[in-house]
Amino acid sequence: MVPPFCIVVGFDGSPDAQAALAWAARMSREMGARIRIVHAVGLLEHAGLGDRATVHRETALEIAALAGAEPANVEWSMVDGDPCSALLRMTTAPELADLLVVGSRGSDFHEGSLLGSTSLELAEHSPVPVTIVPAGYRSDRP
Amino acid sequence: MTLIVAGPTGASEHDGGEFHPEQPARIFSVMNGIRALDLEDEVVHVTAPEAELSDLSRVHSSAYLKELEAFCGRGGGDIDPDTYARSDTWSAARRAAGAGLAAIGALEQRGEGIAFMPVRPPGHHALPDRAMGFCFLNNVAVAAASLTARGERVLIVDWDVHHGNGTQAIFWDDPDVLYVSTHQYPLFPGTGRADEVGGPKANGLNVNVPLPAGATGDVVRGALDQVARPTIEEFAPDWVLVSCGFDAHLADPLSELALSSGDFAELARVVNEFVPRPGRLALFLEGGYNPAALETSVTATLGALLGIAVDPVAPTYGGPGMAGLRATEAHRRRAIEEPDAADLRMDA
Repeated sequence: MVPPFCIVVGFDGSPDAQAALAWAARMSREMGARIRIVHAVGLLEHAGLGDRATVHRETALEIAALAGAEPANVEWSMVDGDPCSALLRMTTAPELADLLVVGSRGSDFHEGSLLGSTSLELAEHSPVPVTIVPAGYRSDRP
Repeated sequence: MTLIVAGPTGASEHDGGEFHPEQPARIFSVMNGIRALDLEDEVVHVTAPEAELSDLSRVHSSAYLKELEAFCGRGGGDIDPDTYARSDTWSAARRAAGAGLAAIGALEQRGEGIAFMPVRPPGHHALPDRAMGFCFLNNVAVAAASLTARGERVLIVDWDVHHGNGTQAIFWDDPDVLYVSTHQYPLFPGTGRADEVGGPKANGLNVNVPLPAGATGDVVRGALDQVARPTIEEFAPDWVLVSCGFDAHLADPLSELALSSGDFAELARVVNEFVPRPGRLALFLEGGYNPAALETSVTATLGALLGIAVDPVAPTYGGPGMAGLRATEAHRRRAIEEPDAADLRMDA
């Protein structure tokens, strides 16, 4: 039996990540694909100094539901690591992602440059296709 | 024996505020740790110059260096959730990288001694074209590349609690550099599996020993002795550089290994056994975010290397991970025997 198509989405809570998740959830709805939402835990967040993963989880699951993904197909996970390596790790066993999905710019940080672009680095290194979703994408667009 | 201290750098620059653990006050803790050794004529202070672009370009892309300089020139900002830059970060990072180059020159001139670089920002997460994990320029890699450029073989031992993904990436396929890392896993940056063994030209010259949370000093020493030592002895380095983070300490707030200051003294003794001759050992500060632990660990490490009795806290034993070292070695051996898959593992 062929396992269901697996879409892995990077999620840091930013508007771009929300757009990426909405697109992935729409694909899940149309293809019956499994979605794994990955929140990469950085140095500060690991120490309780940074991000707000609990809030992100609630937001992410709500976006996926609004875009029509079956709740049974949606999984949330937190992975210690840099966003790029955390997502690339999902392309290998046991996860074996078929597609990576990220927002075009990442969080509210330095914009898409060599200093910190997850999407550019993923596009260069990923062994599976990468979809970069532009900010402002809406899953309910006609 | 002489202690060459190149730096400090970052004692008043590159300041992200008290909230951020990678802060200038770390350097005061480190310098207090050196002062506690009560050295007189045995210590030589060397100023850290800004590394030249030609030195940095051995390990970083020119485009990245230009962009980093320009970004800082515009006042800096947050690069990712962990990493901030300020207007003076470019200069501070260049001095941190330059310290190692100055220290190597001083060691060669004297023909003896050890060098320590109390520098920040740290470096081992910095990739060829990307800043991350508090790091901008890969200080230890800049020093190692300056040595390999003239035909020397370099061992880099990285005992920081986080895997040095930047250093691994830079020397992934370089047969003149052996990179050995002990680190908590899983943990940021998410790399550092045992099957990441190096590229086609350097198969087996990347030695990762991932350790579980709670691992004690005996496990880290076991990693160096049981897993890494045979490869190190076969490699026969001309120089030994250490990515000398102290965040594997039990009291560190960013991680969960359980080492004491005495463990760092023991690790230093083990690493010293790999040094081929006097004047070929240089240690670069990386992480370490508990001020008291940083201070006592610096004292213990340098004291052990200089042969000074400093009576650190006793080494630790009995944490998890010792039984897994054999499996790590087997995992690593299998990966070496399947070199075609290594580059894919590196990417992932």
